[in-house]
Amino acid sequence: MIRSPRLQLLFAALAIATLAVAGCGGGGGKGSGGRTVVIFWQFFPTEQVQPVLDEFMKQNPDIEVRMEQLTWQSGLEKITASVAAGNAPDLCELGSTWFPRFASQGALADWSDSAAALEAELTGWDMARVGGRTYGLPWLVGTRALFWNKELFARARVDTTRGPATWAELTDAARRVNALGDGVAGWGANAGERYVLFKKVMPFAWGAGGALLTPDGKASAFDSPANVEGVTQYLALAKLGRVDRQEQIDDAFLAGKVGATISGSWLLRKAPKQAPALRYGVSLIPPPALDRGKSASFLGGELLVSFSRSKNQAAAWRLARFLASKEASLAVARVNQAVQPAAVGAIDDPFYASDPHQRALLEQLASAVPTPNHPAWLDMESAIEDEVEKALYGKQTAAQAVAAASAKIDVLAKAAPAP
Amino acid sequence: MSAPAAVTRKHRHRVEASTWILLSPWILALLFFGVYPFGFSFVLSFFDYSPLAPDAARFLGFGNYAEALRDPLFWKALGNTLLFVFGTIPFTTGLALLLALALDGAFRGRDLYRAGFFLPTVVSVVVISLVWKGLYSPEGPLSWLVRAFGFTPPQWLLNEHTALPSIMAMDVWAASGYYMIIFLAGLKGIPVDLYEAAALEGATRMQRFRHITLPLLAPTFLFVLIVNSIRSLQIFTEVFVMTRGGPLQSTLTSVFYLYEQAFYKFRLGYASSIAYLLFALTLVLAWLQVKWLKLEGPKS
Repeated sequence: MIRSPRLQLLFAALAIATLAVAGCGGGGGKGSGGRTVVIFWQFFPTEQVQPVLDEFMKQNPDIEVRMEQLTWQSGLEKITASVAAGNAPDLCELGSTWFPRFASQGALADWSDSAAALEAELTGWDMARVGGRTYGLPWLVGTRALFWNKELFARARVDTTRGPATWAELTDAARRVNALGDGVAGWGANAGERYVLFKKVMPFAWGAGGALLTPDGKASAFDSPANVEGVTQYLALAKLGRVDRQEQIDDAFLAGKVGATISGSWLLRKAPKQAPALRYGVSLIPPPALDRGKSASFLGGELLVSFSRSKNQAAAWRLARFLASKEASLAVARVNQAVQPAAVGAIDDPFYASDPHQRALLEQLASAVPTPNHPAWLDMESAIEDEVEKALYGKQTAAQAVAAASAKIDVLAKAAPAP
Repeated sequence: MSAPAAVTRKHRHRVEASTWILLSPWILALLFFGVYPFGFSFVLSFFDYSPLAPDAARFLGFGNYAEALRDPLFWKALGNTLLFVFGTIPFTTGLALLLALALDGAFRGRDLYRAGFFLPTVVSVVVISLVWKGLYSPEGPLSWLVRAFGFTPPQWLLNEHTALPSIMAMDVWAASGYYMIIFLAGLKGIPVDLYEAAALEGATRMQRFRHITLPLLAPTFLFVLIVNSIRSLQIFTEVFVMTRGGPLQSTLTSVFYLYEQAFYKFRLGYASSIAYLLFALTLVLAWLQVKWLKLEGPKS
């Protein structure tokens, strides 16, 4: 027995300290059998990614991959906190809109030299570059396309053999479907959440020839007639339907209550489970007119990055290279069905040839536009969304929204010039 | 004379040591997860600090505070927060008191009712928010009910005028049960003989409530008000789950705004300064409540 109260205290403190240290430890270094441990954080369901990781470990017996699945709700916080605490994973999946802020603050490992050799194998390099340096590998990409309900189109006497080919056709289709009544909306417009509306408005603005920043990234190029035209078109469509959050619009579309909307490939995965009988088409977001403008959409991507503070960067690079390869990324894309590989040639896989909906999304990918890799990008995206949402709620005109957003973007661009 | 005193001192000493040891898990947790972040974020509030580049931190003095006071969104968020606080507390407190009075007497199934009203307190706020998000959806039961009466329901959470009140209504529902329990405890503390004496003197039910129950519940009121104010000023989870501050920033609250600044814009210093401004406001509000109610908490 320890009699002295001081000694008792000391022992208690030591015991607790030991427990605390034991709890914190365990990261990095060597795993069982002397293998190098690579900590990999990503957002896909474990069962979709683990088979690919198992294959990697079979081919690379000297590496042990410890994968952890993050959630979209809290993943960004967790990554941020781990970088701040110096506990960053070795390899991490990062959304392309998050990427510029991490890259511009020097948090990511510079892969320029090793990535150069993969130049011809992958697409979407713009997403992974800031100031001419490469800080990640494009892994999987995704875009948005036009989803339309064939049954509602037929009831409203709209051509169902192909998707609307121009803005005028799209507006006409939405108007006719909206007139069906009975809680049916011609168009599903987005509002009430961040980082969504932008991806729905810009296809029209880009389609009309609009831009976000000047080519050097040092000033706003948003205040243009083309962008006003694009926003005007979106507002016109919104009047012919309902305004809601993405999840609600998707559900309403699957319930056969929305004529047309812009959505992503996640809906392809939801549809067979939630609405097996639904007949719908997926096609390119139409250009302003057949002889004017172009079809465009938002290009989003999942990048594989390592952090400048990561412990096992060399092994992380090997894993990243493997995951980004055509075979490995196709394996994930096939089971996930909501993303497409960034690898060149993946489009020729029979999986895409056999599915017209997936095929349409891949086609849209060719004209999809990535967002600028500016450190203040997320603020710029918010600026556009805030102002367009005001217009959507009738507080200002499209021209006012575009001018106001442009003024905010200009301040942001000048405050933190692109590197 | 001196021997017993020494024994007592020694005894007391030993009691203190073991007390510290037994309390140490809690105290250490408080130090690590309470006091340390509290102090650290205070320091941060004077810096331009990004968690991604901690080495590039820059001292700004009161720069963050000055920026917050000039930031229209900070004021918008604060306005919404105060609207939430002053819009919910009277209802939560009133409902809680009514429930406590109703469930104070003895009748069949009383405990079942008490447990029922208290239940939302033990359910995660995230779960409650998700359920209510469903209630408020255009296809949800609430909209159906409004339609059944021949009206067109608003899109509760997507209309800038109804979004915040919708969250407030949910909060009143979810929080009342907790304060009901506190009021019930307060009611139990009022001696029964006071009521008996008053009844003998011919005081009516209303008079007894007005002159015995209310004054003697005052310390409980103060506690409920302060605890509820502090909690309401920190409204976050409901907004995070249901509206993300939208539409048109009509549900942007202070804590949600500082969360966005910290974790989406990586401006930890600025977020900390907002947190400390909110803390200062909380202190002032609590002090005013104590002063107005001319109370110093329950006296033994």
